[in-house]
Amino acid sequence: MRRALSLAAVIVTALLLQTTVFGDVKLLGARPELMYLVTIVFAMIEGPSSGAIAGFAGGMAQDFFMNEPKGITALTLTLLGYVVGLARQYIVSPSPLLPVGLVAGGTFVGVLFNRFVAFLLGQLDTSALYVFRVAALSALYNAILTPLLYPVLRRVAEGSRSRKIVRW
Amino acid sequence: MALPSRARSTRLLVASLVAVSLVTITVDFREGEHGPLASVGRVAMAVISPLQRAVSKVTHPIGNFFSTLVRLPSIRDENERLKDEIAELKAQVSTGLADEARLHQLEALLGVEESLGPNVQTAAAQVIANGVSNFEWTITIGKGSRDGIAVDQPVLSPAGLVGHVVRVAPDSAVVQLAVDPDSSVAGRLDVSGKTGLVSGQGNQDMRMGLVDTSTEVQAGERVVTAGFRIPGVAQSLYPPGILIGTVSRVLPSEASLEKFITVSPAVDFSGLDLVLVVLTDGAG
Repeated sequence: MRRALSLAAVIVTALLLQTTVFGDVKLLGARPELMYLVTIVFAMIEGPSSGAIAGFAGGMAQDFFMNEPKGITALTLTLLGYVVGLARQYIVSPSPLLPVGLVAGGTFVGVLFNRFVAFLLGQLDTSALYVFRVAALSALYNAILTPLLYPVLRRVAEGSRSRKIVRW
Repeated sequence: MALPSRARSTRLLVASLVAVSLVTITVDFREGEHGPLASVGRVAMAVISPLQRAVSKVTHPIGNFFSTLVRLPSIRDENERLKDEIAELKAQVSTGLADEARLHQLEALLGVEESLGPNVQTAAAQVIANGVSNFEWTITIGKGSRDGIAVDQPVLSPAGLVGHVVRVAPDSAVVQLAVDPDSSVAGRLDVSGKTGLVSGQGNQDMRMGLVDTSTEVQAGERVVTAGFRIPGVAQSLYPPGILIGTVSRVLPSEASLEKFITVSPAVDFSGLDLVLVVLTDGAG
């Protein structure tokens, strides 16, 4: 329950920031993709199943604010959360830059996948060049935001774990 | 044995979430704006729009300030004007002169409203949020069905055509901008009077298609809405004579059946604050 509430709070906050502040403050014409960032960070910290759940919930929430068939972002982020969560288990790098790299790579691949699904549904009405450009720019923007948002999200994720302290 | 079964349950979870997503896509694709999912979307809009209103009230002036700063180096000619603007924005932020700017905007909107004619009903609305995606060009305005806003109503600003309403909640509405690739507007070239279809191209200039190759077109020519009306058959969404933009490029295309014309939009879509929604066109 506690986890569901904090996940909901994170998703609503991400949607709000995405549509207000980051609608105005763009990087070379591109917004960040905050919901991708949230999904990837949750998947890194909590593993593949929590990553998939966070991605599904966040993606579905975002879908309801778009004019495309709902579910495309949910599908993208479910898979993204699962894959990043799985990949994290096999990476042993202690580098503090690991989250930044995973967020950048994950966002780039995720946006391309999302647009590919939209293309299959006949919903892609921008050029492939624009898709690549935006995927790269939003990945870069997300990477820049990661050092700021990662500690916050980690605190939320860890704070919402059930607090059964076993003493012996 | 604990680990494999956990991995199996994770895979099952992911498979079911993917299945739910695919079902949602299919249902929404078939039902469109009339299905149950669209009503859930309206509820979501109704829930989040008060929050968007509150947040953008605080962040919009700051965001505008930053986006003005970012554009500064690329526009040498406008350097001076932008400096003035920044000074003005700074002053507005610090001394609360925003009210006066609001008054000027409202006066400009009043001018637009009067130019539409006496029978046209309009509503001025505040922009409370931008679109959520990099692949859609929309804004959310702070008025909805309670104020008489309905789908397909045209939206204008003092500078020209903004777009049209695509989704409505009780207290907010989503406006698809004229630069959205899904948007097409019947446009008329100011000098020759020839009509064509102006389609959005996202961040690039709009394209004007279906213009005959024999038409004389000059860069800098104004393009306005055609606002056609065939009584009882079809009617354009937009009132006639609203400025869409100016012709930015004309490419000679001898072999093609239509001229290649790009149109630079009259409205600065990144800085929209107050817009005017046309509720009725006075016809009927």
